Amino acid sequence: MTVLSLPENLDLKASGPLKAAFLERRGGALEVEAGNVRRLGGLCLQVLLAAKTAWAADGKSFSIRAPSEAFVETTRLFGAEGALLSADIHGVQS
Amino acid sequence: MDELEAIKVTFFQECEELLADLEGGLLAMQDGNDDGDTVNAVFRAVHSIKGGAGAFGLEPLVRFAHVFETLLDAVRSNEVPATPDLVVTLLRASDVLADHVSSARGLGDVDEAVSASMAAELKACTDPNAAPAPAAAPVVVEAAAAPVIEAAPALIGADDALDDDDLGFDFQPMTITIDEQAADVAAAAGNVWTVSIRPKSDLYRKANETALLLRELARLGPIQATLDASALPPLEFLDAEAAYATWTVRLETDEDENAIREVFEFVDGDCDLEITRGEAVAPDAALAALLAGDAPAPAPAPVVEAFEPAPVVVEAAPEPAPAPVAAAPVVAASAPVAAPTPAAAAKTQQIEVPGPGQSVIRVDPERIDRLIDLVGELVINQAMLAQRVGEYGIAPSSNLAMGLDELEQLTREIQDSVMAIRAQPVKSVFQRMPRLVREVASMTGKQARLVMDGENTEVDKTVIERLADPITHMLRNAIDHGLESPEERKAAGKNPEGVVRLAALHRSGRIVIEVQDDGKGINRERVHSIAVKKGLISPELQLTDEEIDNLIFLPGFSTADKISDVSGRGVGMDVVKRSVQALGGRISITSRPGQGSTFSLSLPLTLAVLDGMVVDVAGETLVVPLAAIVESLRPKPEEVRPLGPVGAVLAVRDSFVPLIDVGLTLGYRDSSPPPTEGVVLLVEGEDGSRAALVADAIHGQRQVVIKSLEQNYQQVDGVAAATILGDGRVALILDVDAVISLRRREPPRPVEPTLIAAE
Repeated sequence: MTVLSLPENLDLKASGPLKAAFLERRGGALEVEAGNVRRLGGLCLQVLLAAKTAWAADGKSFSIRAPSEAFVETTRLFGAEGALLSADIHGVQS
Repeated sequence: MDELEAIKVTFFQECEELLADLEGGLLAMQDGNDDGDTVNAVFRAVHSIKGGAGAFGLEPLVRFAHVFETLLDAVRSNEVPATPDLVVTLLRASDVLADHVSSARGLGDVDEAVSASMAAELKACTDPNAAPAPAAAPVVVEAAAAPVIEAAPALIGADDALDDDDLGFDFQPMTITIDEQAADVAAAAGNVWTVSIRPKSDLYRKANETALLLRELARLGPIQATLDASALPPLEFLDAEAAYATWTVRLETDEDENAIREVFEFVDGDCDLEITRGEAVAPDAALAALLAGDAPAPAPAPVVEAFEPAPVVVEAAPEPAPAPVAAAPVVAASAPVAAPTPAAAAKTQQIEVPGPGQSVIRVDPERIDRLIDLVGELVINQAMLAQRVGEYGIAPSSNLAMGLDELEQLTREIQDSVMAIRAQPVKSVFQRMPRLVREVASMTGKQARLVMDGENTEVDKTVIERLADPITHMLRNAIDHGLESPEERKAAGKNPEGVVRLAALHRSGRIVIEVQDDGKGINRERVHSIAVKKGLISPELQLTDEEIDNLIFLPGFSTADKISDVSGRGVGMDVVKRSVQALGGRISITSRPGQGSTFSLSLPLTLAVLDGMVVDVAGETLVVPLAAIVESLRPKPEEVRPLGPVGAVLAVRDSFVPLIDVGLTLGYRDSSPPPTEGVVLLVEGEDGSRAALVADAIHGQRQVVIKSLEQNYQQVDGVAAATILGDGRVALILDVDAVISLRRREPPRPVEPTLIAAE
């Protein structure tokens, strides 16, 4: 199980590196640490969504662990909680 | 006009086209062409209208289109056979749909009763047994009928429904209570906005952020964003700095549209924005219906099908669909889907409403008219200049003369280009006619089929607009008076369904519109007796068949025994004739008893410029349209043969053509000089008849600007229009056909002045 820890700031500048980080870890189950995230932008959201799709296509597990409040809140703002967050988090939060 | 209004205008323009497609498709089906493509095209037309209407919240239109579409969907999937009767019903439904579109546009009203009964009829056709809707509906059908049931299960994984959903609505695992739903709708009705946000890559590049926009929106009121990430490429192809995702936000706020727009002030241009009042439900519901039809995906059906069994609910809460969005947190229509699901296959096309002014420029016609006037002046001016230069005796090979030639070429090109701007296919007028034919046929109890030909014939726009009335009148007349009743037709050994043919074609520089029916033809005896009875002609007058046929154009003539509300209206074909003449056109009729009649209407192609031969007749300068001239020659004495007391014919090669002295016909002189002294122009009329016009001399070929005589003075027999020559003099443009027919009627002139006056 590989772990990817997300940085605090997932803005414009973070999207490129984030994509690269995902590509590096492709092929195995992945846990994404989202506890530190304080800002999440639209571009990084796209990368996360694409990554999740890719992992699903590979048939590997992809989970977001212990998301910060900011991460959950922004994801919900984006209308992406159902797609990105596991049911328990999104259930609990809503 | 704000942006939304502009898009709305575009929508209605598209509606026109879609309605035409719809009608065309249905007519094709009527002709037995019911292959999948045609049915699909018909379905798509209705579906697109519904989709667009939903986006603008045009509820009645959406409701009717929905019922229509449901039936078409059933036809498409062969659940309902496309029988001829059904197609007739569909055609009538398309008329009602057109009414709804006009009404939504603010032009006229829909007859609610007609619409409701039509809708009921369509429903009955869709499902004769009136059983609950097919496919995946049952669960919620019950729920809608018995709104007590809590937790109407919409047990579909988000992943199932979401991936390929263009419009970004979605259905997710959740529990809806119908009560909540109803309450929600009631609460939401007033101040709900739907904001569709499509960020462009530039938005992010400029360090703006969708999240901030959403946050700003949230400050106006509670929002629910629905993410559409269907455009998102696979991770490896993803450009990390490009925008793919779009959002549809449902916002409840008491603020107005401007407040919403202000949120996006800083991203103006970097983000496509659509703000509509109300829920984005209708299109969603529409798409859901489509999804349900396309694939057995259970997901979208519930909400939609609730329309059918519980129409009351629909009426009471016209927006029953928002529940999935409204009642629960929203799930992304995002990509994280592993395998393609049934819903994935049901990709719906998004209704693309192109922004205004992208590939087409809309110009105020007045500007074009002004341009055309100016080009006309330019042509005159250029002719004057050429004349002056000619007067100074400058050699044709000199630079000045050559420059003038070039100027002439350029003028001509400009003129052609300007005319091309205004040229439009007559289709825009023709496409209104099938409906008219259906209506008139049903009013008169006749069976009629309209066959159209040459819809793409291009005509000057000013002419097109004024064609509608005469064509309408002629078609009405053809069905009401021309065609027999189905019984009579059967008795006469004809197909009970009459055929009316409407055709447009170009002939010798004019446009010809023909309306032909295969009915009983003109009853000449009756026409003659009516004309006599009404004192229009004297009883002893002997008339040719053609002359009798033309009597129906006399003012005050009406053959119908009683005035029907279809074509009678107390006016006759004389009105048509007058309106055609006002356009510088002519109308004629040919009829064969038992086989039908043909009305032929001919109009000048453009109302502006023509190529003509300038001739001299009895000291007057006349212009003969070049298009009519076959050749010009100087007759030899042996070629001229007298015919009758005053007439003469000219032997041209192997045939004889009547010699017409233009000066005599137009009344410039009382006796003709011998034709051998003048020049003969061999002309061909519209009906193909030839004549030899005698003039005194030919001056040459000129391009002349047409100045209407009707507008500035009045109609003159034998003269089509006037023009200004290079030397500033006014010359008359000869109406060749009229001159030929004037000459034909010359002999009875002393006997029967009434008829001539009436003509």
